[in-house]
Amino acid sequence: MSRILARIATFAILVVAALAIAAPFLWIFRGAFSASDAELYKLPPTFSPGNLTAGNFGKVTDQVPYFRFFVNSLIVSTTITAAQIITCATAAYAFARLKFRGKNVLFAVVIGSLMIPIQVTIVPLFLVMSKLELTNTLWALILPGIFSGFGIFLLRQHFLALPAELEEAARIDGAGHLRTFVRVILPLSGPSIATLGILCFTYWWNDLLLPLVMISDTDRQTLPVGLVLLAGRFSTGSLGTIAAGIAMAIVPVLIVFIAAQRYIVQSIASSGLKL
Amino acid sequence: MTEEVVPPAVRRGAPPKKRKDGLAALGFLSPAIVTFLVFVLAPTLGVLYLSFYDWNLLSDGTFVGLDNFDRLVHDDRLLHVYGSTAYMALVILAVNVVAGLLLAVLLETRMSRWLRGFFRLSFLFPFVVSASAVALIWRFLLNKDLGLVNYVLGLAGLDRIDWLGSSAWAPVSVIVVNSWKTIGFSILVYIAGLQAIPAVLKEAAIVDGANAWTRFWRITFPMLSPTIFFLVVINTINSFQIFAEPRVLTQGGPGDASRTIVEYLYDRAFGDFDLGYASAIGITFMLVLIVLTAIQFRLSRRWTFYE
Repeated sequence: MSRILARIATFAILVVAALAIAAPFLWIFRGAFSASDAELYKLPPTFSPGNLTAGNFGKVTDQVPYFRFFVNSLIVSTTITAAQIITCATAAYAFARLKFRGKNVLFAVVIGSLMIPIQVTIVPLFLVMSKLELTNTLWALILPGIFSGFGIFLLRQHFLALPAELEEAARIDGAGHLRTFVRVILPLSGPSIATLGILCFTYWWNDLLLPLVMISDTDRQTLPVGLVLLAGRFSTGSLGTIAAGIAMAIVPVLIVFIAAQRYIVQSIASSGLKL
Repeated sequence: MTEEVVPPAVRRGAPPKKRKDGLAALGFLSPAIVTFLVFVLAPTLGVLYLSFYDWNLLSDGTFVGLDNFDRLVHDDRLLHVYGSTAYMALVILAVNVVAGLLLAVLLETRMSRWLRGFFRLSFLFPFVVSASAVALIWRFLLNKDLGLVNYVLGLAGLDRIDWLGSSAWAPVSVIVVNSWKTIGFSILVYIAGLQAIPAVLKEAAIVDGANAWTRFWRITFPMLSPTIFFLVVINTINSFQIFAEPRVLTQGGPGDASRTIVEYLYDRAFGDFDLGYASAIGITFMLVLIVLTAIQFRLSRRWTFYE
C-alpha cells in the first residue's frame, strides 16, 4: 500500500514540475499561432482552433531581417563549435595523456578561467577587437568564443577515464601522439564531444551581450538581438508576433538538442565530472 | 595482453620520450594557449590596468592609483548590491542542488522509457533557450494584472502578488526564473551521476534489509558526493554572474532590490562610461569568486567521497 502511495506521489511531483516548466512554452507556441492578441490576454487562457494562423511568422520576417539574423547566428554558432571542439580536444589530450613541465599550473589556469565572466572583460575585449579591426564583423563574435575552460575540463575528465591500454597498443605499432589522438582517442569520444558541441552551440546561439557590444550594423546582428528588436516594438507591434519570433528562435536549438540529448547523459556519466 | 609482447628495451626508451612529450604538448596546447592569451588573458590584464585609471572611452585616461578601489570600499550601494546578489545566488544554488537532486532521484525510479524521456525533455527545455527570450516570456506571465501566475494563485484563493514591482518579490522573481532555466542542467548532471552508481551496491543493501531512506544516505549520497560538489561549484559561479534575468525582468529594481553585481558593473561601464571604476569592481568580483571556489574546495574534503 505505502509503495503504491509512494509511486503516486513520485508521479504527481514529476507531472506538476513538468507542467510548471513546460507551461510558458505552451503559452508561447499558442501565442505564435494565435490570430488575435485579445485572446492572448484573456484569463483563464482559452484555446480555440478556429483562431489559428501562421500569419504571425510572416509579420516577424516583415519587421526584422529575420533570415539574415538566422544565417548570422548559424555561421557564428557552428564556427565557434567546430573551433572550440578542436581547441579543447587537443588541449585536453595534452592534459590527460602527456607529461610536461608546468602541467598543473596550466590546468589551474584553465579552471581559473571559469571564474572570469565575459561581462567583466567585455571592454578590453572590444578594444582588442578594434585593434584587430574586426569590430562589426562576425569574427568579433566568433574569436572570443573559441577558448573554453569548461570544454577542456569536460574532455580531459573523459580522456582520463579511457583505458590506457588501447593507446599503448597504438604506440607500439609506431603511432605518434597525433595519430594516437586522431585514430584512437577521438573515435572513442563521440558522446563527450557531442555534449561539448551541444552546450557550446546553444550557448552561443543564445548569446546577447557580445553582438550588442561588437556589432553596429543591423545586417550583421544575430537572433537574440533580433528578438530584442522585435520586443522593443512591443508598444506598436503585437504579442503574437513576438511569440512567433521567440518560437522561431527556439525551434532550431530544440531540434539539435532532442537529437543529441542522450549523448549528454552518457558522456557525463562516463566522465564522472569529478573535480 | 599487449604488455607481454613489449620487449623491455622499448620500455627503457622512456627518458628521451619525455623531451618529445614537451614538444608534443606544446603542439597540442598551442590553439588553446593562443586563444587564451589573446581573448581571455589580455582582456583580463586590460581590466586590471584600467582599474588604476579614470577613463570614459572618449578622453585620454588619467592614472589615479588606488582611487577606484578606495571609492569601491566606500560605495554603500555596491555593498547593498553584493547583498542582494548573494541572496539570490544562494537561493538559486539551493534550489538547483536540492530540488534538482529530488527530481533526478524521482526520474530514476521505475517508469516506462517513453515517460522518462518525456519528463527529462520537459525539464531540459528551458536550458536551451536564450535567457533574454526566457525573461521576455516571464515578463508577461508575471504581470500583476494580466499574468497567468497571479491568475493561478487567484484560483487557489490567494491575493495578487506584485512580482516585478515590489522590493520583496522582485528578487524572488529573478530566483524563480533563473532556477527554472538552470535546473534542467543540474538534473541532467545528477542523472548521469546516479547512473554511474554500481547497481550491485543497492542490491546488496536491499538484501541486507536497508530501507529506501537508509539506502539514500548510506549509498546514494556518498557515491553522489563528487557530483554534488561539481554542481555546487558550477552553480555558485554561474548564479553569482546572473545578468540577463534582472535586466529584462526588473531592470534591477525597484531601487536595487534585484540588482546583481554584473548588472551594476555593466551600468557603471556602459551607462556612466566610468570604465576605471567598473574595472575595479570587476577585479574585486573575480577575487570574490576565486575565494568562494577555494573555500568550497577546502570544505569539500570533509564531505565528498572518492572511490
